[in-house]
Amino acid sequence: MHTEILVRAIPEARVKAVASPHLDRSWTRCLGIPVAATDSATVLGDPEIEAVVIATPSDRHCELIERAAAAGKHVFCEKPLAFEAGPIEAAHRAVLEAGVVLQVGFNRRSDPSLVDLVGAVRAGLVGDVQTIRITNRDPKAPPIDFVKRSGGLFFDFVIHDLDTARFLSGSEIVEVYAAGGVLIDDAIGEAGDIDTAVVSLRLANGALTIIDASRQAVYGYDQRFEVLGSAGSVAVDNLRPSARVVSTSGGVVGCTPYGGFVDRYRDAFIAELRAFVAAVAGDGAVVAGADDALAAVRAAAAARSSLAERRPVRVEAPTVTGAKGTSS
Amino acid sequence: MSTITVGVLGAGRIGRLHTDNLLRMPDVRVKTVADPYVDFADWPPDGIATSAEPEFVLSDDEIDAVLICSPTPTHAPLTEAAAAAGKHVFCEKPIDLDPGRIRRTLDAVDRAGVKLQVGFNRRFDPTFARVRQAVVAGDVGEVHIVKITSRDPQAPPVSYVRSSGGIFLDMTIHDFDMVRFLTGLEVVEVFAMGAVLIDPAIGDAGDVDTAITTVTMAGGALAVIENSRQAVYGYDQRVEVFGSSGSAEAGNETPNRVAVSSAAGVRTDNPLYFFLERYQASFVAELEAFFTCIRDDREPLVSGRDGLMSVLVGKAAARSMAESRPVRVEQP
Repeated sequence: MHTEILVRAIPEARVKAVASPHLDRSWTRCLGIPVAATDSATVLGDPEIEAVVIATPSDRHCELIERAAAAGKHVFCEKPLAFEAGPIEAAHRAVLEAGVVLQVGFNRRSDPSLVDLVGAVRAGLVGDVQTIRITNRDPKAPPIDFVKRSGGLFFDFVIHDLDTARFLSGSEIVEVYAAGGVLIDDAIGEAGDIDTAVVSLRLANGALTIIDASRQAVYGYDQRFEVLGSAGSVAVDNLRPSARVVSTSGGVVGCTPYGGFVDRYRDAFIAELRAFVAAVAGDGAVVAGADDALAAVRAAAAARSSLAERRPVRVEAPTVTGAKGTSS
Repeated sequence: MSTITVGVLGAGRIGRLHTDNLLRMPDVRVKTVADPYVDFADWPPDGIATSAEPEFVLSDDEIDAVLICSPTPTHAPLTEAAAAAGKHVFCEKPIDLDPGRIRRTLDAVDRAGVKLQVGFNRRFDPTFARVRQAVVAGDVGEVHIVKITSRDPQAPPVSYVRSSGGIFLDMTIHDFDMVRFLTGLEVVEVFAMGAVLIDPAIGDAGDVDTAITTVTMAGGALAVIENSRQAVYGYDQRVEVFGSSGSAEAGNETPNRVAVSSAAGVRTDNPLYFFLERYQASFVAELEAFFTCIRDDREPLVSGRDGLMSVLVGKAAARSMAESRPVRVEQP
């Protein structure tokens, strides 16, 4: 997806190489990409390449960031950077030492509706933020193979909501309480994960946040956001592929929300890479940086502890200082 | 029993509302309103007797049923006295703030063999009743997540907050009952997080004005309740039940369906201002249902047990917030 966006929607970028152990060469040919490799070394060793996009399984992210930074390449990396703070801090240091740009794939920060919502909050339209509500439901539960290497619901899925709470509030998460269970697919439970969760957050500015997450909403990808403040509220509802409404004697039927993140956040995926390419060119800041990745992973770890220990958990204060990644 | 004769105990805001609604009902006669603190100068209308003494109502053999609309501490003793006098009882929520006291009252009602309905009016709201109907019809499948937004338009005076029993027993109690009503499931555990973000005086009074409560239901379904004592745009009352086959969602009621579009945006009117406006229909429907139960000798839709459970859940939520941990809900 990122490759196709870079080729088709971002003329300022040229995709020279794609590396993957299971690469479809007809696909790279079709996109006009000159180099198709099965190993990362081919890409990282190419002096002509200025920046890399890392979209591997999550357990390889930080290692690849460090190697890319050592090779002097700017990095765009998918979330989560890791499942714990240590590797992220190491990757962050490597990036700072190399003087390269690192952007994390928190795509919602580039979504036009959410950017607009944040603009309204920052402009003071709702006054002081008091309560944030986030609904995050996938259209279909993922295969068990994916669940097993995903890092779990909090690290793979709710991590977006944890970042969104920080993005919408401009504040830090200080306390997390998570309740959850296996209500959709027993196999997810057997894999040691949950498929349904409700997560409460307390933020440093005093505001509260409630996240409800589900691996499967049969009617589509349910993405809703709301910020209540002292002067009012601002909300983003689901986006739909069509505005059609059919009214008959049987009822009034509108279109269900987009069927998945690729369609719902299409504009966001394009915008986040545009921002990255611009940041590489020295034109603006990254949308989300290592600080944001670290804060989200710390909160996800707190959620995991909270669920396991059945108690609210304080979030460790950040220890890394350096280039501030947050642009909001 | 063709005409049911009713006495009303308590002539405050809700007592007057109920009485005025009763006057429009066929086959219901309001005989007496009693309140020790009201002079009845401009209310009720002619034809209704008044008294300062509840006993005046309870000893009247002609009265079949009473509505208890007096302050909360009087609910349990008046319910017991009315039951002992053989009168059916409609009691405003909560029956009491002490579960032990509620249990004694429910025992007294059982012994007397009269009907008791508790004033959880929202169950009779046509919109929420429709959501429940969708759940019963299986439209959402197995319930996974219930979301309730309940925000008042304006923070109450601190004097009210002090005697309210706290946000969980005063405000969230309706939402706890709504979760039980919508799902038909029992609450087994709650975790509550609260904050004082609207009025520091509410904090000084020992309460919070903003709260989020996570509820675990029997069988594992989850519910989230979000409360605010003040949403400046109006009374924000939304529910959603999400499950394996889909979701059923109820948005806010507005006074009209008009959208005015201009270069500045698309504007609709705010939600109905507060509970008297928003739940007008439910206040009538709950009393009609109460009288139907009396006539048909059926159990009320909102039982004494429902009244007890909502208090047990509210107590657990208050304790959860105070002790910063999830709390199991005592079962009745």
